[in-house]
Amino acid sequence: MSDYKRQHPVSIFVSFFSNVKQLLITGVVLLFFGSSQQRGPWYYLIILIFLLLFSSVSGFLYWLTFRYRLDDRELHVRHGLIFRKKRYIHQDRVQSIDLNAKLIQRMFNLVEVKIETAGGGDEPEFRIIALKREEAEEIRHELLYGMRKSEPDSYEYEGEDGAVYDVGEYQDKETPKPVQYQAKERKEPDHRWKLSGRRLLAAALTSSGIGVAATFVGAAFSQIQQFIPEAWYETALGFVLQSSVRFVISFVILVLLIAWVIRIISTLLKYGNFTIEKTGDEIVISRGLLERRQLTLNRRRITAVRVVQNVLRQPFGLVAVYVESAGGGTKDEDLSTILLPLCRESEIKGHLEALAPEYSFERPMTGLPGKSMFRYMIRLAVPVTAAAALVTYFIDYGAFSFIGLALAAGLGYWQFKDAGIGNNEQFLWMRSRKFARTTVIVPRSRIQTVEITSHPLQRLNGLTTLEVSILTSITGKTFSLQHLGEDQSVSCFRWFSYEESDSRGSDPGGKLN
Amino acid sequence: MGSDTVEYPETDKRPMPDQKISPDALKVWRIGAVIEFLVFALVPMAYWWLSNQVEFLPGWILYLIIAAYLLYGIFNTVLFPKWQWRRWRYKIYENEVELLYGILIVRRVIIPMIRVQHVDTEQGPLLRHYGMASVKITTAATVHEIPALEESKADEVRDHIAKLAREADPDE
Repeated sequence: MSDYKRQHPVSIFVSFFSNVKQLLITGVVLLFFGSSQQRGPWYYLIILIFLLLFSSVSGFLYWLTFRYRLDDRELHVRHGLIFRKKRYIHQDRVQSIDLNAKLIQRMFNLVEVKIETAGGGDEPEFRIIALKREEAEEIRHELLYGMRKSEPDSYEYEGEDGAVYDVGEYQDKETPKPVQYQAKERKEPDHRWKLSGRRLLAAALTSSGIGVAATFVGAAFSQIQQFIPEAWYETALGFVLQSSVRFVISFVILVLLIAWVIRIISTLLKYGNFTIEKTGDEIVISRGLLERRQLTLNRRRITAVRVVQNVLRQPFGLVAVYVESAGGGTKDEDLSTILLPLCRESEIKGHLEALAPEYSFERPMTGLPGKSMFRYMIRLAVPVTAAAALVTYFIDYGAFSFIGLALAAGLGYWQFKDAGIGNNEQFLWMRSRKFARTTVIVPRSRIQTVEITSHPLQRLNGLTTLEVSILTSITGKTFSLQHLGEDQSVSCFRWFSYEESDSRGSDPGGKLN
Repeated sequence: MGSDTVEYPETDKRPMPDQKISPDALKVWRIGAVIEFLVFALVPMAYWWLSNQVEFLPGWILYLIIAAYLLYGIFNTVLFPKWQWRRWRYKIYENEVELLYGILIVRRVIIPMIRVQHVDTEQGPLLRHYGMASVKITTAATVHEIPALEESKADEVRDHIAKLAREADPDE
């Protein structure tokens, strides 16, 4: 048992800093919402020192008690000071292994290993936060390819076939392993794509999510007033009262501009050096300027492909492509994985051909029945009208807010126009728009359930909502398309039904499953 | 775009599921609703207590709350269970389970046998008292429930689905 290894000591700093980051966030929240004037600064200083001490000690203890050992095709991990925990992660249970290098890890040329295992439980994923890159690569290889690597084809089989095969391999393969490992490593990937600098810039300039950043900037601005000297504040306030509309508009523009710049920078950092490599069924995505992330995705675990075109990208015909997969996926992307941060609409087919060929096909679509247009428009118009009425009642120039009504109705019409659905033997695809236009492509063999729902207003017009659930990383995800004609929904039901269609489409899962 | 639904002929309908759930479900739901009603009585009581403590809380809001409370109680104990029960249908085919339920929002679900991860029957004290159980069908992404069947029927349904799910597996 002596061959258990500890993490690199830098992990103490890593966990210390991540603790401090947590504390900072809490502190900022407290500062914003708490009434901070009542107690003296000493009070906070003592708490701060105590917390810093606490996090450094806990960081140290974590490093001290966390030990791991790589056995063949199995990772043994033990940690915990009082409550000892042992964990064996076997190759067969591993869904994905991602190597990430955050800022601190990068300074010491280390990586964090994130292992995701099958079968939920309370901890579906597992981290070792600081390791030398070579060691991490070794773990990755052992757990992903292990004994199976000498014959790449054997990776195609799973379950009984694979097991039988592996046992055979097991006996005569103790020593030559490192050699094989080296050989495998050198092998060129089948396909490689790099996000060009121009595209990265374009992606940054047109990235969406300004809304979130804007809210944040707006909130920050609203707090700034506390720190501005009283006199300035009064002059500013006088200015506001004199020219309120112009001020409000310029304030909004300023906030949006700042938010945009923040988004640009964060996108550049996130997707800088974006490279995608495919070897066999493994798709490895590396990205990030400051933080290097390396995600591994198995082509056969993809459960859906999403093509997203936000409003800024639409005029240029640019899109981003995401995939949903069972295992893998990052929390900050809603448990999806970004496959292509930016490409032309016309290029999608070619890229998918190289990365996940079964998803590469023409997708003709039928639109929704005309009667659903009204539903789309009214759904957005009603709340806007109510809000505008309120604003008009309370504010001088409030009547201008009725412009919003036209915008809402326009957006509704746009949503209606872009909505569509189509299917072939093996795939269903749905296109819809909230602001961004999203096309989701789901294989029939990956759909868990199909659901038709209808609320009373929809029933008046014979309309329905279609909901399709698939498995993603840990839980399920449901895609829906609103206000389909009932006949369209029912025909989708028939398409999905295993009852009526067993003779047809007998091999959609043959390759996929 | 538009209303050309050539690929979806109107006549291409699929039969609705036709199995009803147990009539006793109504009793259980109503008892549950009455208990909920009693618990929710805390809301008007809390407001009444508060308005005695705090000067400026107007009394008329209390009547509003009570009215809303009573109205909700009537709907929740008398009407909703009835509508709910009337709507509920399920059907177990060879390769899939179909459910149809919901009062305002009507839902119709297909759960293929090959997607069923496991099936359970569950009984709360109320269901047990009336000799009923609910059947819970779990897929990798979703959970579905047939809320009230006679106990023997529930067991039968569970075993039946479990068997079909087992048999369905290998192919796809």
